[in-house]
Amino acid sequence: MTGRMVVWMIVLLGSVGLLASCGGDQAGNTGAADQDQELVYATAKDTNDMNPHFYAGSMPAQGMVYESLVENTEDGIKPLLAESWEISEDGKVYTFHLRQDVQFHDGEPFNAEAVKKNIEAVQSNASTHSWIKLSTKIVSCNVIDAYTIELVLSEPYYPTLLELSMTRPYVFLSPKDFVNGETKDGVNGYNGTGPFKLAEQKVDQYAIFEANETYWGGAPSLKKITAKVLPAGETTYLALQKGEVNFLFTDDRGTDSLDVEAMNKLVESGEFQLVRSKPMNTKMIVANSSKLDSPVHETAVREAIWHAVDRETISQQIYNGTETAADTLFSSNVNYANVDLMKRSYDLETAKQILDEAGWVLDNGDAIRTKNGNKLAMKLYYDTHSSSQKTQAEFLQHAWKSIGMEVTLIGEESTSIANRRSTGEYDLLFNQTWGLAYDPQSTVAAFSSTSSYYHTTSGIEKADELYKKIEQVMVSQDEETRKSLYADIINIVHEEAVFIPITNGSVTVIASADLQGISFKQTQFELPFERMQFE
Amino acid sequence: MELLKKIMMDKLAAISLSIVAVTIVVGIFAPLFAPHDPYEVHMELRYASPSWEYLLGNDHLGRCVLSRLIYGIRPSVLWVLAALALSVGIGAILGFIAGYFRGKTDAILMRICDVMLSFPGYVMTLALIGVLGVGFENILLAFILSKWAWFARVIRTAVMQYAESEYVKYAKAIGVSNMKIMVKHIVPVSFSDIVVVASSSFGAMILQISGFSFLGLGIQAPHAEWGMMLNEAREVMFSRPELMLAPGLTIIIVVMALNFVSDALQVALDPKLMSSQNKSYRNATTSAGKLQGKEVA
Repeated sequence: MTGRMVVWMIVLLGSVGLLASCGGDQAGNTGAADQDQELVYATAKDTNDMNPHFYAGSMPAQGMVYESLVENTEDGIKPLLAESWEISEDGKVYTFHLRQDVQFHDGEPFNAEAVKKNIEAVQSNASTHSWIKLSTKIVSCNVIDAYTIELVLSEPYYPTLLELSMTRPYVFLSPKDFVNGETKDGVNGYNGTGPFKLAEQKVDQYAIFEANETYWGGAPSLKKITAKVLPAGETTYLALQKGEVNFLFTDDRGTDSLDVEAMNKLVESGEFQLVRSKPMNTKMIVANSSKLDSPVHETAVREAIWHAVDRETISQQIYNGTETAADTLFSSNVNYANVDLMKRSYDLETAKQILDEAGWVLDNGDAIRTKNGNKLAMKLYYDTHSSSQKTQAEFLQHAWKSIGMEVTLIGEESTSIANRRSTGEYDLLFNQTWGLAYDPQSTVAAFSSTSSYYHTTSGIEKADELYKKIEQVMVSQDEETRKSLYADIINIVHEEAVFIPITNGSVTVIASADLQGISFKQTQFELPFERMQFE
Repeated sequence: MELLKKIMMDKLAAISLSIVAVTIVVGIFAPLFAPHDPYEVHMELRYASPSWEYLLGNDHLGRCVLSRLIYGIRPSVLWVLAALALSVGIGAILGFIAGYFRGKTDAILMRICDVMLSFPGYVMTLALIGVLGVGFENILLAFILSKWAWFARVIRTAVMQYAESEYVKYAKAIGVSNMKIMVKHIVPVSFSDIVVVASSSFGAMILQISGFSFLGLGIQAPHAEWGMMLNEAREVMFSRPELMLAPGLTIIIVVMALNFVSDALQVALDPKLMSSQNKSYRNATTSAGKLQGKEVA
């Protein structure tokens, strides 16, 4: 018996040693993949359906293959597939002059006809695109000549160009890939106009993108990009160290695969660089105001939750100072969001007082407050792939317990959380605003969209007023009215405390040290891979 | 008492038994033994190394690792024990019925067992979690539902040997009721088999529960559980590998102790092995090995 145990021990020790030596061998190969301008990035989620007129696919991947008519940059809207455009006096007709040297990956010419087909394909599936208000405003799309197209709206809509610049759905797929002239029942191929084309895709394993040598903006330096599906955390860390992947970034749901310390360790080794974008969005907890059977539908409870979030500690301890504390839904540098709002600082006593006044009382000997026999108990959903969300959830759970609030934590896949958001089956969940290119107009528009924040906002007292104002602001022509309408909207949701801000998030990139030209777009959902190259 | 004496003669078994006993006692009286509140968050002590106040250091929320280990005994060991008792109970009742009455009852029960056993245990548990939702209670329930069949099988075989024996036949002939025969004449002799089977799968069940919690399917935060602590430590595996030691070693030690105890129990309980101690020891280990090997997770 003991003899056999000893043998096992030896075998075990031997295999550990073997594993360690394997790691050493492979570490020596780092950089082999780099020589031929090949970038391999790790992603926790599969690239999924690359159909650009749907929302299942990975946004960074769609961003390299497809392009929109215009581009949202730091200096405003710039030309992309459209060289120039005119807007009619009444704001209802947009005329775009297209670039004439653009081809789809399959050789089809990019022209007015292709634009029309794509826009009509999107419009024919309107219910899927209800979150993007432009889809409800487009009346028709007319071909003027081979490279001129006209977009007619039912009423003036100021974010038109912003929404046309988004990663999806108003991007262009080769008409040859359409099935029966539509894209909503699947497509035959994924030929866009972008700097990279999809070469091979294996579900839950990898997707390979190759440089588009005939790209109208010049062939990109990187010749091959591979998106490798790897579980977040130590697998990704090891893959980076072994040279199996050489690029890593914050995914489109705001999840970092590595914790801050692991990232710092990689940078210290000298083989990797860490590049952080400027703050792009606000990470927050979304409260479901329309869930009548949960205490969370009461404004006082939400306010108490807000007061009981110690943002400084989260920013300093959990994020090691890499993210700053956020006190409002939109930081003041976001357009139209420089509004004076009452600051709800971290103060447990105030939180307790608010709950007491609202009738949630702590009976002697109880740990949890009650009101009319109902317990002050809620559920908070977090993304299981995000270790920082879990840590924050546990930290907050403890703080909330001290004010007599019981919060159950439930970790789920990000898709399942997105689903909860649209069906309203949640009390509280982690979320983030959509980033510079989308804030505030798209995030605000999403307040009233059933697929996004409708359940979050529909339970508040001034819900009807809020929705009316959102309708108005989108069609307002005058800058001053727009400003005051946005101020009202931001004030209403702030007063009702339905979006509880935590920190200002950014996009983080970890890449091998010899990768040049890492930069960011105005959105957290895409990266400009075409500007990168290995030295 | 005699049984205990026999176990105590084997040093390894004695140490193992005391480890198991201490674990259970500490788990039951966790609030008395834990130096701190296991849920108390101290962000300023995040990942602090061991100190006199916090003997095993602090975790990612600055909670006391030792206290969490102690509170973790409850779900990791005690609740597993309860689930084990329940599934052995169900298995024993059905096993007795099948083994004693034979015939159609036996055939039907054993076919049900066949169905249950033809699914791999992990898949079965995962499927049940899929239906019932993530949660510790659901995993325990899934365990009970998927494990009883194996126990019923083994216990039936044990019962069958005795149900055929002369003294049972005689009892039947003089008109003793079936119930009484089972309780008076079969339970005492087959009890040792049941104990050995149960104790040998105890360790395996602890590992499985920890495994499911490690995957995030079991107990939910902030409750402490060994598998979950290991998972939390995994996230910082490369920056702070020492955090894996405490929960990892605890699981190894407790499960090993349980396996040694179960081996020793088998030796001590098997009446056939009483005459020659040396030979019996070898037999016992091989048969225990077989039992564990056969078990379908």
